[in-house]
Amino acid sequence: MSIGRVTQRMLTEGSLSNLQQGLGRLARVQEQLSTGRVINRPSDNPTGTTAAMRLRSSMADQAQYTRNAQDGIGWLTQIDTALDSATSTVRRARDLALQGANAAASGPVSREALAIEVDGLRQSLLSEANTTYLDSPVFGGVTAGTTAYDATGTYVGTLGDVNRRVANGVQVKVDANGPDVFGNGATSAFAELEALSVALRAGDQAGISASINTLNTRLDTITSARTAAGARFQRIEQADLTASDAGMSLENQLSVIENADLAATTVDLKLQEVAYQASLAATSRVMQPSLLDFLR
Amino acid sequence: MVGSFGSISTALSALRYNQVALDVAGNNISNASTDGFVRRRVVGESVSSAAPALWSRYDGHGEGVAVGEVRRLVDPLLDTRVRREHAALSYLESSQAVLARVEEGIGEPGTNGVYAAMLDFRNGWQDLALNPGGDAARQQVLGRAETLAQALRIQVSNITGEEADQRVHLNNVVSEINTAAAGLADLNQAILVTEQNGTDAGTLRDRRDQLALRLAELGGAVTTVRPDGQFDVSIGGETLVSGREAGTFVVASGVTPTGAADGLPITFRIDASWGSTTLPTGAAGPGGELGAVTDILTTTLPSYRAGLDAIAADLAAGVNAQHALGYDAAGAAGGAFFSYDPLVGAASLQVAITDPALVAASSITGGGRDGNNADALSNAGDNTGAYQRLVNGFGTQVAALQRQTANQTALAGSLDNSWEQQAGVNLDEETVNMVTAQRAYEAAARLLTTLDEVLDTLINRTGLVGR
Repeated sequence: MSIGRVTQRMLTEGSLSNLQQGLGRLARVQEQLSTGRVINRPSDNPTGTTAAMRLRSSMADQAQYTRNAQDGIGWLTQIDTALDSATSTVRRARDLALQGANAAASGPVSREALAIEVDGLRQSLLSEANTTYLDSPVFGGVTAGTTAYDATGTYVGTLGDVNRRVANGVQVKVDANGPDVFGNGATSAFAELEALSVALRAGDQAGISASINTLNTRLDTITSARTAAGARFQRIEQADLTASDAGMSLENQLSVIENADLAATTVDLKLQEVAYQASLAATSRVMQPSLLDFLR
Repeated sequence: MVGSFGSISTALSALRYNQVALDVAGNNISNASTDGFVRRRVVGESVSSAAPALWSRYDGHGEGVAVGEVRRLVDPLLDTRVRREHAALSYLESSQAVLARVEEGIGEPGTNGVYAAMLDFRNGWQDLALNPGGDAARQQVLGRAETLAQALRIQVSNITGEEADQRVHLNNVVSEINTAAAGLADLNQAILVTEQNGTDAGTLRDRRDQLALRLAELGGAVTTVRPDGQFDVSIGGETLVSGREAGTFVVASGVTPTGAADGLPITFRIDASWGSTTLPTGAAGPGGELGAVTDILTTTLPSYRAGLDAIAADLAAGVNAQHALGYDAAGAAGGAFFSYDPLVGAASLQVAITDPALVAASSITGGGRDGNNADALSNAGDNTGAYQRLVNGFGTQVAALQRQTANQTALAGSLDNSWEQQAGVNLDEETVNMVTAQRAYEAAARLLTTLDEVLDTLINRTGLVGR
């Protein structure tokens, strides 16, 4: 720009607009520092805004996956505990059956004692089969009620998978099908225990032997159900870890895009401050003199 | 003419001339900071009575000085450019101011606003899937749905509020255009008359230039100068002011005089004694502030609103369709989750159910604790991508406008500088002019004293030799 003639107004206007621009830059840095964010509205950085929105979306997803996984872990832990007790219960019943087989001749009184304990075991197995997590029976599928089996050992749940979404497109089953583990009605573990107790009372040697076999099979069934649940537990735990790791890394990325670098912004603030002061000083010098100061 | 008193009148002319020079310098100094003031310069003319005639002989040396003219130091070409660039700047500044205001209401990216509500709503369904039997989770889904619907409605009402404001603004701009046009036509007439009377019309010209600039800023008006010095003004290619007559700028359709929308596209008309013409629309139509307001009302805001409407429509349709596939707590098929009126748009989006038991979380009949439909609902009507694009588009538009405005401000500023270099008052210069005139006045007065003494010598001392 070649300046031919300079007028007082040019100086005033120029100084004013420079001061305004300086103040504007100061205000911008001040906003970044006080909000701690470099993107305060979409136009500050449209691409960054989209990235920030996408990251927020992923973060919300990951947080939800973590919550879902935690809930699933709750279910599977209950199942594991219940199946652990069920294993001991059935194993104890089998031991009693073995004892009963040996003591078949030992008289009705001792057999009656064995039978009473078997009846007790049947009760505790029933309560294990009705274990709940947050009021939902973990072996009851999607039942609306709070029990999976009634007192007779009949399955009263509604069969259906309870799934937890733990990653994008990944669903893990967190319940166990009651009938697959404990059977149902006449073919249930409860019926098996009842048969044992009946056989014990009757001193029915053949019945007791048969019970030993069925209880062995039931033990296998329960153990394999427990293994399957354990495998799902591991999957879900892994997914939980992945989701929380991903959440943290996404948070970092978001911070890089959205948040102000404190050191850099503070230096910038100082820079703008110095520039503003310089233009103030320049203005005060430019405004002062005129020819009238020298002509008297 | 060399007469005894000739030089006295020469001195008198110098005294008069320098008084005018002082007057003009004084006026320039007084107006050093007046907007639109153009500095004046006295142009002196040396006076000669030498008349070329047959056998004539002139042995004088001039008859003094006279004021030739008081010249306004303007450059009409520069004025035209200043008006054009200011019209463009005014367009950009007006657009930017409105869009920046709307943008503040969007509130993205952040933890509030529509997007956060969308994510919360989505996760609310997942939470319900975790505990489909729980009343709390159902209530939470309804609460989050209401928050989302409300967030969308608030954004829409921000936009419609801005549209209403801008329609009133448009009427105001139009009435200001009419006032300025009428004023300019009056000045055309006044300048013509004043100058025919031989009086200086500099101040009137200053005012007319300012009105022409204001008309450029308001409506992108183009001013052309007639051979007789009158200004003709046209907007959108149609004449608004012709000499001493001004037409009336009218909103032909789109906005009623009370600032309401009449459902038609916005068009303008000029009614004048030379006829009534409808202006073209779009880029060929009015520019400046009026063009900006028109574009915002015609394109920018409606397209953002349409984006929000589409999002609300997709959300309602997607969620309702999936909701209908599920069963509520009582085992009945899910009803409509959102109510939405396509004729009204996003402003009509409402949560249709209030009873948490009616949320169809289950995908099996019979009221089991199944959460599969809730899981599916978390993905239904998902519009996060569309909303991201909408926000990104708007942000990009505002950012581009900011850049353009900054460029245009620099351009207009440098033109203003050129104008100021030409027409502005420099106090040093005026002081120098003042001192020059003062000294010249003093010298002319001295000339008069000298002549007086010469005549005194001649008249009172002649014939007294040897007395």
